Amino acid sequence: MGHEKRSDDKHGFVFNIQRYSLHDGPGIRTIVFLKGCPLRCQWCSNPESQKVSPEVALNSRKCIGTKECGFCARECRDGAIIEKDDGQIRIDRNACSECFRCVDACPSKAMTLFGRLMSVDEVLRNVEADGIFYGRSGGGMTLSGGEPLMQPGFARELLKEARRRRINTSLETCGFVDWKVLEAACFHLDTILFDIKSMDPVKHKAFTGVTNELILDNFERLCREFPNLSKRVRTPVVPGFNDTMEEIGAIVDFIKGRPNIEYEMLAYHRYGQPKYEYLDRVYTLSDVHLDDGRMSELRGMAKERLGKLALENEPTEPRVRMEAPCATCGS
Amino acid sequence: MNTCCETLSPQEQRIQEEIKGIFNYEGRERIYKILNSFKNERPVIDIERARYFTESFKQTEGQPLVLRWAKALKHIAENITVYIDDNQLIAGRVGCQGRYGILYPELDGDFLDLALKDLPSRVESPFNISQADADLVIDQVGPYWKGKTFHEDLAASLPEDTLKLTYDPKDPLRSRFIVNETASFRSSIQWVHDFEKVLKRGFKGLREEAVEKLNSLDPLSPLANVKKRPFLEAIIILCDAVVLWAKRHSALAAEMAKKESDPVRKKELETMAAICAWVPENPARTFHEAVQSQWFTQMFSRLEQKTGTVVSNGRMDQYFYPYYQKDKQEGRLTDEQATELIELMWVGMAQFIDLYISPTGGAFNEGYAHWEAVTVGGQTRTGLDATNELTYIFLRSKREFPLNYPDLAARIHSRSPERYLYEVAETIKEGSGFPKLINDEEVIPLHLSKGATFEEIYDYAVSGCSESRMPNRDTYTSGCAYINFAAALEMVLYNGRMQIYGDEQISVPTGDPRKFKTWEEFWNAFITQQTNFIKHAFIQQALIIELRARHFAAPLGSALHDLCMKNMIDLHQPVIEGGINLGYFEYIGYGTVIDSLAAIRKLVFEEKKLTMDQLLKALEANFEGHEAIRQMLMNSPCYGNSDMYADSIAKGIDKAALEFTKTYAKELGVHLDLRYVPFTSHVPFGKVVSATPNGRKAWTPLADGASASHGADVNGPTAILLSNFNSKNYDYRERAARLLNIKLSPRCVAGEEGTAKLVSFIRTWCDLKLWHIQFNIINKETLLAAQREPEKYRGLLVRVAGYSAYFVDLSPDLQNDIIARTEHAYV
Repeated sequence: MGHEKRSDDKHGFVFNIQRYSLHDGPGIRTIVFLKGCPLRCQWCSNPESQKVSPEVALNSRKCIGTKECGFCARECRDGAIIEKDDGQIRIDRNACSECFRCVDACPSKAMTLFGRLMSVDEVLRNVEADGIFYGRSGGGMTLSGGEPLMQPGFARELLKEARRRRINTSLETCGFVDWKVLEAACFHLDTILFDIKSMDPVKHKAFTGVTNELILDNFERLCREFPNLSKRVRTPVVPGFNDTMEEIGAIVDFIKGRPNIEYEMLAYHRYGQPKYEYLDRVYTLSDVHLDDGRMSELRGMAKERLGKLALENEPTEPRVRMEAPCATCGS
Repeated sequence: MNTCCETLSPQEQRIQEEIKGIFNYEGRERIYKILNSFKNERPVIDIERARYFTESFKQTEGQPLVLRWAKALKHIAENITVYIDDNQLIAGRVGCQGRYGILYPELDGDFLDLALKDLPSRVESPFNISQADADLVIDQVGPYWKGKTFHEDLAASLPEDTLKLTYDPKDPLRSRFIVNETASFRSSIQWVHDFEKVLKRGFKGLREEAVEKLNSLDPLSPLANVKKRPFLEAIIILCDAVVLWAKRHSALAAEMAKKESDPVRKKELETMAAICAWVPENPARTFHEAVQSQWFTQMFSRLEQKTGTVVSNGRMDQYFYPYYQKDKQEGRLTDEQATELIELMWVGMAQFIDLYISPTGGAFNEGYAHWEAVTVGGQTRTGLDATNELTYIFLRSKREFPLNYPDLAARIHSRSPERYLYEVAETIKEGSGFPKLINDEEVIPLHLSKGATFEEIYDYAVSGCSESRMPNRDTYTSGCAYINFAAALEMVLYNGRMQIYGDEQISVPTGDPRKFKTWEEFWNAFITQQTNFIKHAFIQQALIIELRARHFAAPLGSALHDLCMKNMIDLHQPVIEGGINLGYFEYIGYGTVIDSLAAIRKLVFEEKKLTMDQLLKALEANFEGHEAIRQMLMNSPCYGNSDMYADSIAKGIDKAALEFTKTYAKELGVHLDLRYVPFTSHVPFGKVVSATPNGRKAWTPLADGASASHGADVNGPTAILLSNFNSKNYDYRERAARLLNIKLSPRCVAGEEGTAKLVSFIRTWCDLKLWHIQFNIINKETLLAAQREPEKYRGLLVRVAGYSAYFVDLSPDLQNDIIARTEHAYV
C-alpha cells in the first residue's frame, strides 16, 4: 500500500490538488497541498495537513449508515469501525492499523484519505491539465500545506520540475524551516507567499506552538538574498491573538521598505472546524469572533502605512488585498 | 458568517436595496415609468392577429400560399389596433398594452379551444384571456383551422414506429418527450433578418426591386407565371402592408399631438408622427429613424409568423453605427439620448411574450422566454475587430439597466481588445446572466467548411439561444428534433421499453442487459438505441421539410433575403439555390448519459462491484432501500471534471451521432448538425425518464446542454471547459452549438483582480474553441430566498438556457434545477 512508503525527493504525501484557485499567487492556479506542518496554530483551517503521514477522515453527514450500507465495517480487519446506536459509525483510532480498506469500500465518500503518496511526475501531470489557463492568466502551480517544506526534497523537486516545464511557481510557507531548505526552494520560485503571524515571540509560541525567531530571521535573509523575488506577506488576523493595532502595526513596520513586498491580511474564519470532527479532534478556538469594524480599522492602518511602500514598488494602485480566505470556497 | 462569502453581485445588492424601498431611477425616469407600468403583470392574450389572419385566409382559399400570406398580413395591417404608448418615443406593438402574447392558429388552431381553457392555470408561464376573446377564438378562429394545421398533417404522416417515439399514438397532442419534433409549435427556427437592408433602402426600395423583377418576367414562361409572379406580387403587397401599418402610427401620433396639452410631450408626438411617416418606407436618415425603422420591421415580423424564440436583432452595434456616428458628428445626438432610445426598445421587447399554446411548447420555453438576441462585437466583413463606441453603449446599458431583454450576445475572437473583454466581464459580473458569449474561433471555421464565404461568416449574427445566422445565406427554417438520449439509455436497460410507458415496445429490442457479458455489448446496445432515435428524428425531418412548404410562407422574411429575391421563391420552400441549409438535431441529457455509462462500465463490467441485476433492481425501486448503490454510482467518474474516463465516453457518443448525420443528412439535402442546446427541455424530458445509473432519481431534470450533471462537476470551471474540449470531435464538420452554463459565486469575481481573472478565463475558453458560454453570478442563498419570498424577488434575473428570465416566473422544477447547478466558488 502506498501509505507505507516514505516521502523522498521524488515522492511525497499530497492531501489535495485544487484547480482554479485565484487567491494564492498570480493568475489562475492549481494548488498542491502537501502534508505536514511544524506549527500547531489554534485557528488552523487545514487540520488534515498537520501530520505528515496519511490519515482517514469521516464525514458523518455523508455517511448513509449501517442500515443501508456498513461496507466499511465489513472490510475492516481491526474491528476499528464501531457502530453507534443511531446506525452511524465512528472510528476507533487506537485500534485502526491504517490499512484504509474502509476508505476504498465507502460508496458515499464519507470516508476519505488525507495524504496520498504521489510522484513528482504524477503531480505535475495533474498541474499541467490546466496549463492552457496559466498561459492566459499568468497563473501556475502553488505549493501549500501544511508547510510544504516539511517534505523538503519533494517540494524542491516539484518546483524545479514545474519550472523546467515552464510552469509559473509559487510557494506558501510559514517560514519555520531551515534556511537551507527555504533557500533551495527559492531558486525555483516566481512568487513566495510568506506568513508572518505575530512579532511577539511569547504569544507566537502560545498560539502556534513555536516561537517566531527562525521565521523572522528567514524573512530578513530572504529579503536580503532574494531581493528580486516577488513576496506576498500574509497575516491571518485572529481575534484575541493579533487583531490589534499594535500587533498588525508591528508586522507592517517590520516589512515596510523591503524589496518586492505586497501585504495581505486574511480575516479569521472557522470554516475548517468540521474537519476537526472528521478527524476526531477538538477545535480549541471555538468561541471567538472577528469584528468587521476592527478588521477594517486594521486594513485602513496597513493601507496607510504601506501605501508609500507599495507605490515605490508598483507604479499603480497599492495592491493591498484585504479579502479573507474562505474555507467554504477555499479561496 | 464570514464576510467573504457574503459578497453580493450588483444585481443582488440592488434587490436588497429595493426590498428596503430604495430605488434609483436617476437618468432613466422615462424608462422606469414605462417598465413599472407593466412589470409583474400576468400577460394577456391578444387575439387580433389570429382573428384578422383567419378572416383573410377564409377569403383566399386556393390561391398561392405566399400570396395568401401577404394578403393576410395586409388585412392585419389595415385592421389591427395601433397604439402609441405613454412616455414612449418609439411606436409599434402587435397587441394590447402591457405584457401580451399573440396567437398563430395556423400552427395550433386544432387545439386552441382546449388550450385556452388551460392557459390561465398552467404552471409554466400562465396567461390571461377575456371570456369574450376566448369565445371569439373558439367560435370563429379555431373551427376554420381544424383539419388544416401543420401539426395534424405531420401527425397523420408519421410512420408507426416514428409516431410512437414522437406522440402518444392515441393523442398526438401529447408529446412523448422522446424524439420530440419542434416544427409544429413554431413556423420557423430562430432567425435574423438583414435589417441593414431596410435601414438603407426602405420598403420602398424593396418594393421597387419587386416591381422591376415583375416587369422583366418572361411573359411566356409557365414557371414565371405560376411561381415567380405570385411571389413578387406577394412582396409588393407585403411592402405596402408594412408601410401602411407604420403610417397608421404616424396618423395616431399626429392626432394625439393635437390633443396633448403638455408642450414637451406634444413635441415628442410630433416628432414620432414625422418619423413614422418617413420610415420604414424610406431609408433612415438619423439614429432615431434607424431605431424606429428596425423596430417596425422587427415587430411586423411577429405578425408574419411564429419564429422560434422570435426573430433576433442581428448586429445592432454595426448597422446602427453609421447613423449614430453621423448624428454625433452633427451634434444631433448625445450618448445619453442614444442609450435612452435603445432602452426604449428594450422595454418594448419586454412587453411582448412569446406565447406557446401547446403544452410541449410551453414546457420547452419557460419563463415567457424569447431569445431576442442583440449581437455586439466580433469582426467586420473584412475580418477586422468590429468593436465601436456603440458596442460599449450596449454593454453599459446592460450593466446599468439589466432587464431580461434583449438577450445580449457578445462575439469573442482571439484579438478581441482588452477593453471589450473587460467590459464584457464587468457586465457578466452584474449578475443578470448577460451577455452570453459566442466564439468566432469556433463558429467561423466551421461555417467555412460548410460552404460560407469569409465575408458572410465574418458578419454572422447570433440567433436565438446560441446559434448563428448569415441572414442572406442561411435558408433552412424547419424546426428540428430534440432527442431525449437519457430515454435511449433507459431503452437499453429495459430492452426497448420505458418505465413510464409500461410494457409498450417503444424502441428496438436490444436484449436483456443482465445477459451482457462485456462493456462492449452494453456500449453497442446503447449506440443501437441512440442510432434508432436519430434515425426516427431524420424520418420526422424528411417529412417536416416536405410538409412545411405546403403550410407556411414568409413574404417579409423573403423580401429581406438576397437569395429569395434573386430566385423569386419563398423562404420556407425546401430548395433555394445558393443557400446553405443548416439544420440540426439536439442531444438532450448528455451529462446524464455519460455519467450513467461511465458508472456501468466501471462498477458492473470493470470492478464488478455491482451486478446488472442489482443495478436494475435499484433503478426500478428508484433507489429506495438501495442508497449504497446510488452513492457508488454517484461517486463514479463524471463528465465535467476533465477526467478522460468519462470524457472519452462523451467523445464516443458524440462521434457516433456525428457519423450518422455525416452519412444520411445529405439525403435530405441539408446539414443536420449535432447540437447541445436544451431550451428548458431537459426539465420535461427528465419527467419521463425513470432513475438513471448516474444516481439521478426518477422524473428529475436531465443534465442541460453540454454542462455537467447537477453537482457532478467538482473540479471547478476550468475542468468543465476541458471536459467540453475533450469530448468534441474537431475533425467532423457536422458539429454545431454546444450550450455551456457556469455558475459562479459573486465572491469569485470580486474586485479588479476578479475581473482580470474572469477575462483570462474567457480568453482561454476562446482558445479552446468552445462555441458558447454563459455565467450565473449569484449566491445560492439568494435563489433560496427568492423561492421563499417570491414577491420580494420579482426582479431577480437568472440565466436559464440560452437566455435570462425572471426567477419567480419559472416553474418550481426549473427553479430547483438552477439551484442544483454546481456553484463554483473558487474563482
